[in-house]
Amino acid sequence: MPNSRVLLQDAPGKRVLLLGNEAIARGVLEIGIGVVTTYPGTPASEIGDSISAIAAEAGLYMEYSTNEIVAVEVAAGAANSGVRSLTAMKHVGFNVAADAVMTLAYIGVKGGYVIVTAGDPECYSSQNEQDNRFYALLSNLPFLEPSDPQEAKEMTISAIEISEELELPVLLRPTTRVSHTRGPVIYGRLTKPNLKGEFVRDVRRMVMVPSNARPMHVRLLEKLERAREISEASPYNRVVREGTGELGIISSSSAYNYAVEAADLIGLDVGILKLGMTHPLPEKMTGEFLKKHEKIVIVEELEPYLEIQVKAIAKEYAPNVEIYGKTGRLYFPRKGELSTRTVIAGLAEITGKESPINFKKIDEVFSEILKDLPSRPPVLCAGCPHRASFYVIRKVTGENVIYTTDIGCYALGIAPPLNVGDILVCMGASIGTAQGISKVTSKDTIAILGDSTFFHAAIPGLVNAIYNNHKVTLIVLDNLTTAMTGSQPHPGTGVTGMRGSSERILIEKVAEGCGVKYVKVVDPFDIKEAATILKEALQHPGPSVIVFRSPCALMVAREKRRKGAKTVPCEITEKCTNCMACIKLLGCPALILEDKKVTIDEALCMSCGLCVSVCPYNAIECKGNS
Amino acid sequence: MKEFNIVIAGVGGQGILLAAEILGTAALKEGLNVRVSEIHGMAQRGGSVISNIRMGEKVFAPTVLEGTADVLLGFEPIETLRNLKFTSENTFVLMNNEPVLPPGWATKMISFPSVEEIIVKISGFTKNVVVMKAAKLAEEAGSILTRNVVLIGGLAATGRVPTEIGSLKEATCELVPAKYKKMNMRAFKLGYEHVQKNVKPMVF
Ligand code: SF4
Ligand code: SF4
Repeated sequence: MPNSRVLLQDAPGKRVLLLGNEAIARGVLEIGIGVVTTYPGTPASEIGDSISAIAAEAGLYMEYSTNEIVAVEVAAGAANSGVRSLTAMKHVGFNVAADAVMTLAYIGVKGGYVIVTAGDPECYSSQNEQDNRFYALLSNLPFLEPSDPQEAKEMTISAIEISEELELPVLLRPTTRVSHTRGPVIYGRLTKPNLKGEFVRDVRRMVMVPSNARPMHVRLLEKLERAREISEASPYNRVVREGTGELGIISSSSAYNYAVEAADLIGLDVGILKLGMTHPLPEKMTGEFLKKHEKIVIVEELEPYLEIQVKAIAKEYAPNVEIYGKTGRLYFPRKGELSTRTVIAGLAEITGKESPINFKKIDEVFSEILKDLPSRPPVLCAGCPHRASFYVIRKVTGENVIYTTDIGCYALGIAPPLNVGDILVCMGASIGTAQGISKVTSKDTIAILGDSTFFHAAIPGLVNAIYNNHKVTLIVLDNLTTAMTGSQPHPGTGVTGMRGSSERILIEKVAEGCGVKYVKVVDPFDIKEAATILKEALQHPGPSVIVFRSPCALMVAREKRRKGAKTVPCEITEKCTNCMACIKLLGCPALILEDKKVTIDEALCMSCGLCVSVCPYNAIECKGNS
Repeated sequence: MKEFNIVIAGVGGQGILLAAEILGTAALKEGLNVRVSEIHGMAQRGGSVISNIRMGEKVFAPTVLEGTADVLLGFEPIETLRNLKFTSENTFVLMNNEPVLPPGWATKMISFPSVEEIIVKISGFTKNVVVMKAAKLAEEAGSILTRNVVLIGGLAATGRVPTEIGSLKEATCELVPAKYKKMNMRAFKLGYEHVQKNVKPMVF
């Protein structure tokens, strides 16, 4: 991230092009947050990463925690000692953190505390697209939804202010189209972070045994009433357009952007109520808006979160208003992200107006073009050590083994020709699901997960395998980084979020300590040795663990560039018979066909040597690998 | 100014995010309101990548609507073709002539259109098509990694973006690592001169 330093400029009024996530990081600096914790996950990663790059200089504390619940707990401790804190995670990470958050809502906080949970409608880089706004209803916590980078920054600041007023954590939810959109952000003043806290004992408020939890739940509900007043007066909830007609739109988040443009393109005379603080909803403001219109359209992404509540408000304020959205008849899709196009389609249908653009015609013309066009899904990088691991796994196990897989780059192993991965649920699930499968089928079961995932969620599953004696083999693909989310460090790397060093925790030592009797570490590019070990592990009567350790290819490339070392690509010699074994077995993007001849793309080849090992004719030469 | 929409299409790893950031930064330098949308994570590992840059006072949505792109900047021919739905007969297409073969084409024997076929197909939609060999020019500049800046230079020479050459250059210098600044300026110049020499200038 080249421009993290830009975030440190004390230049109030300056306009800077920032990613939504960078804008949140800037908000951290402007409101003087002292503690930032995170577990990386797309689309939230750059929040923690931008802070990590400048934390020492800015004088705040930042850590990559082992997982989201630990991240919340660490920050909750700091916030309850009076230090302003923020935790960032992706939407599914909130599921991991939820146990802590639900009860922290009873306890509350002393210093302001924001939990950022970035949503991913359309599953651009996620296993599901759950709508985390329902966590607001579940936890009773205040909830903010920015629609662009500027608002993302402002809301980070407001979240801390609301949090301190109510003594409650506040949830902030950008989505992919906010987190990963760049837009102009106007800087405010920087505030020096305060890292000095004091923990004041207050057992009734903070120790949630049943006798204390009951009254604190009541307290939370009281705070919720105050939160509703804040919401009524919030600058984020406002009628941005009065309109003179019968039609009104209520919208939030990125959906609001599409709604404004769609309404203008169709040429609708509408009133628009933009909601930014979406829990608790501003009941009166919404009710008054409903009263002014005959038809209300709710434009929101994913679930009908606003719609359900607006319908309840309508019962009281405007029982005759017609409400259009996605309960009952579906005017907007309930899955995936919205776009100006999908909103135009919905609005056109509701109002009976014409769409200004003939999308049908565009679709017809382009389906013709797209018909024969090969798709281009993401693949493992050239030189990726996972490719070697999957090759070894395939070679040893053939077809008769079940592979449970996990969250990370290695999920790409499901694609041909590697075809490794039979079930993928969530972080750490590979080790758990493997045990159930092996129990009830007679098949060998191999659980696959990455190094960061191992620390995040696999250790209880591994302990379970030993305790309940499940005969599974766990393969940890240890590439020494959290690769998919942008190369963050983790407990096995010996590097911290402050960019300092710490004790490296070795996966093999953890496995041994848990009581695994068969634990081996091997370099997956040493194919013979790796295959021998895997065979042995599968023979082992109890649970076994193999760590396939080799650094991420992107990291190797970056390191080489830093040192000014050149990669000498491998070469195909005249011994090549064009049998294409290398291409068919590995699917490395650097192995290409040029004029029907197998060739190595010099710009892509990382000189990992894997194709050298699989070529049956010894036709690939790997010259200097410096 | 009416909104101005740029769609960039290519393959993960080609330097698309930086190109988008350069265009966005240059626009901001000229006081324009701007939105740049990016996709990170899973989508970057050699998969199809698109980025949108939108400029103008009334721009809210970060994504471009089908049929409304003013410029389609194609980093790769197949990906350019895949995103033709964003174009109309008024769209200007600048395409890098550097096919990246999709995975599985060899094992599954997938066929795909040749660059010539692709150009013919695109020309069926808009007559404003310029094709350039950015990879070759990038290597000439010092590294294939500068192909994004070659294309930005080329785009600057077409006069089809509302940002001045100066701001584009400045933005490039700010965003590339300091030690590669010179190399990238060479890339910019090569791209610029190539298009200037080989393409008739367009009038708005
Ligand atoms: S496997 Fe070896 S012999 Fe066969 S095509 Fe590849 S390089 Fe040539
Ligand atoms: S050495 Fe072979 S397998 Fe490794 S990156 Fe180069 S072409 Fe791909």
